[in-house]
Amino acid sequence: MTKQEFLRELEEVLEADASSINGDETLAELGSWDSLAVMTFIAMVDEKFGVTLAASKLADAKSVGDLIALLEDKISG
Amino acid sequence: MQAFISAIEYDLPEGLLTNDMLAAEFPGWSVEKIEEKIGVGIRRIAAKDECASDMGVRAAEKLFASGACSCENIDYLLFCTQSPDYFLPTTACLMQDRLGLPKSCGALDFNLGCSGYIYGLGLAKGLIETGQANNVLLITAETYSKHIHPGDKSVRTLFGDAAAVTLIQGMSEAEQKMGPFVYGTDGSGGKNLIVPTGGFRTPRTVESAQVVEDEQGNFRSQDNLFMNGSEIFTFTLRTIPKSVKELLTLSGKSLDDIDLFVFHQANKFMLEHLRKKLNVPEEKFFMSFQNYGNTVSSTIPIALSDAQREGKLKPGALVMLVGFGVGFSWGATLLYWV
Repeated sequence: MTKQEFLRELEEVLEADASSINGDETLAELGSWDSLAVMTFIAMVDEKFGVTLAASKLADAKSVGDLIALLEDKISG
Repeated sequence: MQAFISAIEYDLPEGLLTNDMLAAEFPGWSVEKIEEKIGVGIRRIAAKDECASDMGVRAAEKLFASGACSCENIDYLLFCTQSPDYFLPTTACLMQDRLGLPKSCGALDFNLGCSGYIYGLGLAKGLIETGQANNVLLITAETYSKHIHPGDKSVRTLFGDAAAVTLIQGMSEAEQKMGPFVYGTDGSGGKNLIVPTGGFRTPRTVESAQVVEDEQGNFRSQDNLFMNGSEIFTFTLRTIPKSVKELLTLSGKSLDDIDLFVFHQANKFMLEHLRKKLNVPEEKFFMSFQNYGNTVSSTIPIALSDAQREGKLKPGALVMLVGFGVGFSWGATLLYWV
């Protein structure tokens, strides 16, 4: 998956407007990054990447960049 | 001798907690979003002086009134709860007396949550098929609402109180009606669904009762239920598909052989994801949390009872049951519905 495709998936998880996330945001800035969004993100990653993220690592993520880093070898560009 | 489920009844407390009630208490909490994701519309909440055992006794009385079995014929009572009446005596012993079960009856409590029904069936099968008992009453009952802080909207949204009773009897047949069983335990996950105080490890104090707000705006003290939802979800993703495969291998069945899947009714989001991951068709995957919420160890028997009433569970049907949760603990089995 490319970085742009990942960002579109993330927008869907957060029910954000299309192309509203550019990858430089902190999760706090996104506003809707709550416990339900975290679960939805875990489900999306499981479905699209076949990876079950460690919830503890996800809890440490502070930015969109940190989320991408969790999937570094699976996201290109 | 083959153990089988011969009857199920359940009891719900009268108290209601609707999404509108939650919205009134928590302005800004998106009721529509929660209902769409979690799938729960109403939870039933026990009264202040109403214990899990009270609901369990009522459920059992319904079962006896239905004519499924007479109370004099029960020779073993298994009570699954994490909300006992007392540290001691054993709540099942008190229930033996309240239900008028014979004094020759065995009775014990076991402390498990969302996996408890599978473990109870496994224990009942062992008792019956080794000739130790003929008519086992398995009661599951929980009042998680009493563990939950009123200001913790995350768990108040999910959990409801309920009790269910299952009568397990024996029949002289060669073919197995219940089993095989797959079990699993990972105590390293214990901290992710816990009431931290109140046992002897961490007794309750004035300090432990102090309420704090978490990052999500939920309020709770150390004396309340804490749930780390994302840890529970990833545990489920890691263990449940594997357990389903193990059970199919052990039984020599394929996914297509199963007529109905009845999983622990955690919530819509989790179950929908598991269903898709396992490639189970929607019509074979029973869901029944809309009017109860997550009732812990009673979700599976309530779902079985509802499925039967809705005509989705016919005699001869092969049913897969999967329970998972607090512990972490999980279990799965197959039933031939009789």
